[in-house]
Amino acid sequence: MKRLTVTLCLAAALASPARADDDKIIVGFATAATGFMQAYDKPAEDAAMIRIKEINEAGGLLGKQIEVVTADTKTDRAEGAKAGLSVIDAGADLVVVSCDYDFGSPAALAAESSGLVSFFLCAESIKAGIQGVGPHSFSASVLAAVQGATMAQWSYEKKGARSYYRLLDTWTEYNKGICDGFDWMLPQLADAKLVGEDTFLNEDASIAAQITRIKALPQEPDAIMLCTMMPGAVSAIKQIRAAGINSMILNGSGVDGSYWLSAVPDLSNFFVPVQGSVYGDDPNPAVTAFNAKYKEATGGDPSTQYTYPGYVMIDVWAKAVERAGTTDADAVVAELEKMNAEPTLFGPRTFTPELHHQNQARYLIVETKAGKPGVVDEWTISAPIPVADLMK
Amino acid sequence: MGSLLQVVFDALALGSLYALAALGIALIFGVMRLVNFAHGDVIAFCVFALLWPSTDAVAVVFAGNLPWFLLIPLVLAVGAALSVLSELVVFRRFRRANPATMMIASFALGFVIRYFLLMLYSSRPKSISLLPALSQPIEIFGARIPLLQLITILVTIAVLFGLTAFLRRTRFGLEMRAAAENFTMARMLGVRANRVIMGAFALSGALAGAIALILGSQTGTANITMGANVMLMAFIATVIGGMGSLAGAVIAGFLLGSIATVMQVILPPDARAFRDAFVYGAVILVLIFRPQGLLSARGAKERV
Repeated sequence: MKRLTVTLCLAAALASPARADDDKIIVGFATAATGFMQAYDKPAEDAAMIRIKEINEAGGLLGKQIEVVTADTKTDRAEGAKAGLSVIDAGADLVVVSCDYDFGSPAALAAESSGLVSFFLCAESIKAGIQGVGPHSFSASVLAAVQGATMAQWSYEKKGARSYYRLLDTWTEYNKGICDGFDWMLPQLADAKLVGEDTFLNEDASIAAQITRIKALPQEPDAIMLCTMMPGAVSAIKQIRAAGINSMILNGSGVDGSYWLSAVPDLSNFFVPVQGSVYGDDPNPAVTAFNAKYKEATGGDPSTQYTYPGYVMIDVWAKAVERAGTTDADAVVAELEKMNAEPTLFGPRTFTPELHHQNQARYLIVETKAGKPGVVDEWTISAPIPVADLMK
Repeated sequence: MGSLLQVVFDALALGSLYALAALGIALIFGVMRLVNFAHGDVIAFCVFALLWPSTDAVAVVFAGNLPWFLLIPLVLAVGAALSVLSELVVFRRFRRANPATMMIASFALGFVIRYFLLMLYSSRPKSISLLPALSQPIEIFGARIPLLQLITILVTIAVLFGLTAFLRRTRFGLEMRAAAENFTMARMLGVRANRVIMGAFALSGALAGAIALILGSQTGTANITMGANVMLMAFIATVIGGMGSLAGAVIAGFLLGSIATVMQVILPPDARAFRDAFVYGAVILVLIFRPQGLLSARGAKERV
C-alpha cells in the first residue's frame, strides 16, 4: 500500500512537474509590457502587485508566499497565446491576462485548456469570462453595459434628465456595450425619451455632420449619451462643446482621468462612472490610502480608474483560495461563484455560475465642472442587467 | 435654411482638410511620380513636435505654448523641414528607381517616423490644447459653427489662391509646372530638377503642418496614427482627381468631404455605421466612369 502511494505521488509529480514547488503560490501575468495595450495593462498590474505584497506581508496565502512570473504579450494575439503558455509552464496557479478581450483571450484560452483560472485585468465585454473563454475565466472589471445603464438611470433620477441623445462610436465592442446598457435602461424610465441617435467612428477627423444633427433638434437634449473611448472621445467632446452644445454629456468609464482635460479647457456638465476615485476624494478613505500606496510603488498617482480592477482581482481570488483551502482551479471557481456582493475596496462583487463578470455594480459618479473632476454621487442600478440582454 | 447652411459648412470644412492633404500628395506626385505614403506620418510628427518627449499619460506641452504668430510658422517649418529631410536622406537615392520602389520606400519612411514617435512619446494618445481660442462657436446667417471650421475653410481657400499664384506667377512655379508636365524635357530646358523637387517637398511638408494644426486644434489629441486616416482619404482624392493634377486633387478632396458629410446626413441610423462603405462605393463609381480621374494631368499619360 505504501509503495502504491509513493508511486502515485511520483506519477503526480511527474505529470505536473511545474507544480513541484509546494511552498509557494504562483501568479502568472501574461500581459502587455510593450505595445499600446501596455498603457492599459501596466497600471492594473501594478495595483495587483500591491495587493500581492499586502498578502505576502500579512503571512501569505494558505501560509505560502505568492510569487509572480510574467511574460510579455507585446500587444499581439499570437504572442499572447505564447505568453499564456509560458506562464503556465512556469507553474502559474492563476493566469492574469490583458485588459481587453481580444488581446487577452489567447492567453486565457491557453489557461482554460490547461484547466487553470484566468482573470482579465479589466475587460468589460461579456465575452471575457464563461461566454467567450470558458468556465474558469473571469474579469476583474464591470461590464460596459452597466456603465451606460448607470448613467441613464442616475441622470434621470438625480438630474431630472428626460430627453436623451445617443451618440455611438462604432469602433469597439466596449463602445457598443455602453450604448446597449443605455438602451436596456431607457425604456424602464417613465417619460424618458430618446430624441435622436447617430454614429461616428473613433478616427473621424470631424464629427461636424453628427453635431449638425443634434443642433437641428427643436430643443437641445437634456443629456447626450456618448458611447466612445480614447482617443476619439476627446475629439468628440471638444467638437460638441465647440459647437455650443451645453447638454450634459454622459460617458462610460473609458474617459475617466484628468490627463486629457487640457484639450477641452473649462469643460463642464460632464459625467463619468468610476469604480474608485483617482482624484483624492473617494468616499472610502481606504481608496485614498491605496492611491498613496500606488504612488509610493510607481512614482505617480493612478491616472484612471482602470488601475483598480487589478487590486480587486487579486483580492477576490485570494479570498476564494483561502476559503477553498487550495489553489485547485475547480475549487477556487466554486468559491468565487459563491461570492454574492462580496465587499471589496471598490464596491461589492458578485460571481455566479452563469456570469463571471459584474452585471450590476456600485459606481461613483464623477462630475467635471469648469475643468475640475470630482466625485458628486454614487449609484447602483436598480436591477442587474439580465445575461440574455447582454448576449444580444 | 440654417441647417442646410450648416451642412454646407460641415462639408466644406471636411473637404478642405482632405483637399489640403491631397494637394500635398499631388504636388510630389506631379514632379517625381512618387506617392508619398509618409505624408500622414509627417502630419503626426508636426503635432508631436509641440510636445516634450515623454511617455507619461499627461502631455508635457513645450512649443505648443507659444503664441499663435510663432506657433503657426513653427509647425509649418517643422513639416517642411522633415519633408525636405526625407527627400535628402531617402528619396534622392531613388531618383532612377521605378515608382513602385519609391512607394515602398515611402511606406518604410512612414514607419520609421511613426516608430520614432512611438519611442519618444509611447503609443498612448496625448491631449493638447492647441489654439484654444478657435474652439468657440460663431454665428453666420443663422448657422452656429465652430470658429475653427470657418478658419479651416478660409485658410484652404487662401492656400489654394496662394499656390495658384505661386505656380503661375513665379519662376519657381513655372519650373515646377514644367517639371510636372514633362520632367525629362524640363531638365533638358534648364530646369534644376533637384531644386524643384526639394521645393515640392517643402511645400508638401508645410501643407502637412497646416493639416496638423487643424487636426490638432479640432481633436485636441496627438496620436501617432492620427495622420493615417487623412492620408488614406487624400490618396483616394489624388487618384480620383487624376494623379498629378493639382486642381483635380483639390476638387476630389472637396468632393470626398461632401460625400462623407452628406452620407452622414441622409443615411438612416442603421446604415450610418457603414458610411465609409458608401463613400468608397461612390469612389468606385467615379473610377468606373472616369478611370483616368476627374481631371487627368497631361504629364501622367503614357506617350508612345
